[in-house]
Amino acid sequence: MSEFLQAERVAEAKAALGRLRTNMSRAILGKEDVIEQLLVCLAAGGHLLIEDLPGVGKTTLSYALARSTDCAFSRIQFTSDLLPSDVTGVAIYDEARKEFVFKPGPVFANIVLADEINRAPPKTQSALLEVMDRARVTVDGESHAVGTPFMVFATQNPVDYEGTFPLPESQMDRFLMRLRMGYPQHADEIEILRTARSGYDALSLSPVVTRAEVSAIQALVPQVFVEDSILEFILSIVAATRTETEFRAGASVRGGLALRTAAQARALVNGRDFVLPDDVTELVPSVLAHRLALARQSGDALEERRSVGAHLKRILAALPPPA
Amino acid sequence: MESRPPQLSLDELHLLRWLTGGSLMLLAIATVFYLDIDAGVMAILAAAGVAAGLVWPTLPARVPVWAHRLAFPAIAAFFAIDLWHSGQLLPAIVRLDLLLMLYLGLSHRARRDDLQLVVLGLFLIVVAGVLTVSLLFALQILVFTACALGLLMVVTIISSTEGGNSPKLAVRGVVPPWAARADWRHLFVRLREVSDWRLLASAVLLFLGVVAVSGLLFMAIPRFQLENSLFLERFVTKKAMTGFSDSIKFGDITEISQDDGVAFDADLSDPTRAPLLPYWRMVVLDEYHDGGFKMSAYLKGKAGLGGERTAANILTGGHGTFGAPTWTIYLEAGVSRYLPLLGPFDALRFREAQNFRFSYDLGMVSLRDEPAAMTAYRVDAMAPDTPLMKDRAFSLLRRNPARVRPDKLQTQLEVSSADAAALRAMAAEAAPRAGAGASAFVEQADAWLRRRHAYSLAPRIPPGAGDPLVRWMASRESGHCELFAGALVLLARTSGYSAHVVTGFRGGTWNAYSGNYTIRNSDAHAWAEIWDETAQAWRRVDPLAGPGASAVTQDTSGAGFAGVTDRSWSARINSIRVFWYRRIVNFDQQSQVETFKAAKAATENSGRWLQNLFAQVGLGVRSLFSGPWNTARLLRVVAVAAALVAVGWLALALRRVLPGRRGARRFDPVRREAGRWLARVEGPKDLVGDLQRLRYGPAATWPRPREVFSRARQASSVRRRRPASSRSTS
Repeated sequence: MSEFLQAERVAEAKAALGRLRTNMSRAILGKEDVIEQLLVCLAAGGHLLIEDLPGVGKTTLSYALARSTDCAFSRIQFTSDLLPSDVTGVAIYDEARKEFVFKPGPVFANIVLADEINRAPPKTQSALLEVMDRARVTVDGESHAVGTPFMVFATQNPVDYEGTFPLPESQMDRFLMRLRMGYPQHADEIEILRTARSGYDALSLSPVVTRAEVSAIQALVPQVFVEDSILEFILSIVAATRTETEFRAGASVRGGLALRTAAQARALVNGRDFVLPDDVTELVPSVLAHRLALARQSGDALEERRSVGAHLKRILAALPPPA
Repeated sequence: MESRPPQLSLDELHLLRWLTGGSLMLLAIATVFYLDIDAGVMAILAAAGVAAGLVWPTLPARVPVWAHRLAFPAIAAFFAIDLWHSGQLLPAIVRLDLLLMLYLGLSHRARRDDLQLVVLGLFLIVVAGVLTVSLLFALQILVFTACALGLLMVVTIISSTEGGNSPKLAVRGVVPPWAARADWRHLFVRLREVSDWRLLASAVLLFLGVVAVSGLLFMAIPRFQLENSLFLERFVTKKAMTGFSDSIKFGDITEISQDDGVAFDADLSDPTRAPLLPYWRMVVLDEYHDGGFKMSAYLKGKAGLGGERTAANILTGGHGTFGAPTWTIYLEAGVSRYLPLLGPFDALRFREAQNFRFSYDLGMVSLRDEPAAMTAYRVDAMAPDTPLMKDRAFSLLRRNPARVRPDKLQTQLEVSSADAAALRAMAAEAAPRAGAGASAFVEQADAWLRRRHAYSLAPRIPPGAGDPLVRWMASRESGHCELFAGALVLLARTSGYSAHVVTGFRGGTWNAYSGNYTIRNSDAHAWAEIWDETAQAWRRVDPLAGPGASAVTQDTSGAGFAGVTDRSWSARINSIRVFWYRRIVNFDQQSQVETFKAAKAATENSGRWLQNLFAQVGLGVRSLFSGPWNTARLLRVVAVAAALVAVGWLALALRRVLPGRRGARRFDPVRREAGRWLARVEGPKDLVGDLQRLRYGPAATWPRPREVFSRARQASSVRRRRPASSRSTS
């Protein structure tokens, strides 16, 4: 963070993200906090895992994001018979040209919705690994860049585990955040009942941010200033998860980096060119929770998530933010 | 910000407790080795057992349970039998202590046992300290205290970690979990991980502070004799160790002189009057018998050494040399029960009452027992090295030689007739002008001996029949000091002169660091004394004065003292020992007053020195800027400025290089101030924004800190006033 950001560029980024927020909240009612975290994830250039029961608006959220930008969007419905090539694409022999021609898969887009990701076998899930990590696909030894910006938007149902393949830890670690939608408030739900029409195509949203603007915002994030005491705060949180006996293993180095990047992105979303301790504390549950597993495994996934969240909350309460 | 530092686990704490406890025991057992108590074998056994238990913490579990049951009755029985058998309480208690330590070292100790351990160890250390009064004791008690404090701290931490639920007694025959998992290398790695050098440094500083305060208290409290208060010395029967006794066989002195250890240190009140080559007389050996000299029964008796007295002083009634310096002598244990002296003196003072015998005429002081610890005594107005020793008793005997037994006259030769004839021939050859007086005889005989024999530490006595000394004299073999002295005595007696051998020390070195004489065992020497009828005194004859003295390079530079100045490392170490003797062991009221005077003088001097320094610096600075400027002056100013900049830069660089506490960084004062205001102010959004920017934002984008802080002050004062005014209106 050698160079500091110019105020105008921060203001531009804030304005663009503000437009996105307003636009999306027209489609997703009463979920401002989820939208903000989504914007943080988008700005940070990370991938998002949304976990919740069916029918609470996971897919709608991704559609709303895709429609609010002019980004290429694709949706992959993960099933148990989905093959890796169905995700990444395949090389097909072209009779006319007498050579193999790469036919890009659905992953070649800017925003990829991986719906019900845990229904696909691990082989297919891992096909996503390289793409999520490097935004590139390698088929037959040839590397192909996917879109820029690139964001995987995965959803999964934590309750219905029948016939699913839980995501391995390595893949969990590659998601910047894991969010829960939750049920809407009473008034918001009344509004949904009143206005919603069936089908995602019914979402009448027009793009308010261009792809170039998204890329520009993502380029700004690393330049957001993080003071040393904030870095130490982040490290103390990560270190505390490592010494906490309730966790099987603490957060990885990537986890710490993710927390820092997300905090920078949140600062930018709020129009700041520097990170506040609040940016960190607000993001700890969504950035770290899915990277941690309890030492005592419980059969109930929801219970386990609640327990991890409670431990994280306790750790945060014990660590006073830098004053 | 608080970060949780790495901590030792409970297992590691237990292992640390085992380590400190074991080290404490080994340290205490080591003191037994230099105690004059018959417990060497038991100490070796105890040390081996404790060391084995320390290294392999699972070992104690292999001790069968019946052994634990039998242990205490067996130890109690051993003590009873030991006490009955030896009849000495203190050695029996020391042996009991060793056995108990061995038992504790070979059992998994509970908290109570650890506390017992400290008490047992402390007992051994104190006993050793009081009995030996050595410098090692000071070191040992320091290390022991640190170790015991460490052990107690670890025991306390363990007990608080276990919530006070730790079992009071260890289960016999079962390996505790910490011992089963013990891994020394891992423990040391972990210790290095968890130790914070700042904490360690402050612990060391605190400990040194305690030591310093104890030292000051020691200096300030009224004096008393530690060993007299504890009576411990009286529980130990002293054994004669190697050293000077009242008989020598040829080679004894040479054997002593092979040892480079310190025999005694001597402090001199006026170093400028130090003798050039002092002869420290200790024992007079007047009887020649069977190839060796010894002190005759006559000299040992009442007529010679006199009856035994118990006193703290020996006063001779002003027979010393007027104005001669006062000597304080620290005689090491095991050297002799005869005290080294230079000559007649006014008064000799011990630190406490002693049982001794003293003969003014012989110039000898003999303690009843060989001292087991260092003995210090002060001698006032002791004649500096005199070659003539007055002996009133002997002069009386010589007045009427016909009525006195020849052995009392010290002219008797207990040799065969053949040897006597050979001696007569040699005497005639050596000193043809018999009857020319003692000094003339001495010159001739001395020259004759030196012509025939060379000095050597490895002499050869030719084989054959008869007296070995006569055989050596007849040969031309080289010899050591005892042979030369003995030969001279035999020649003198053959020629009709009274003569005897004297043993003691010759020379010594001047310790440049502590400013005292150090006389080592290697300075042990033997010489002869011949009765000089004209002087009515014993004349010292040292056939080896020539070659021996030539080895002593004279150094009269500096403070004006004479002799060899020692600036070696061993002198440095010995100076610490002398300090220990002067300031701790021999620290009486007079030393106390001297110390305070010296401290006062040092304080005044350093104050004056500082004043002078400031005055000089002030003058220097003034002269630097006043007066006409020229190139040299300008260059000087630039050089000084450059030096200041360099020093500042170096300090900054060092600050960056030196390790800091983990996570601690140089904290910007603006950020700190902004952080304080942020915690207090709930003012307008832009003010909070500015404060947040000052606290967390990049420095290049900061608003003016002063303005922001003054706005924050205003906002907080408004907030304070508002509730007050609302109260007044209501």
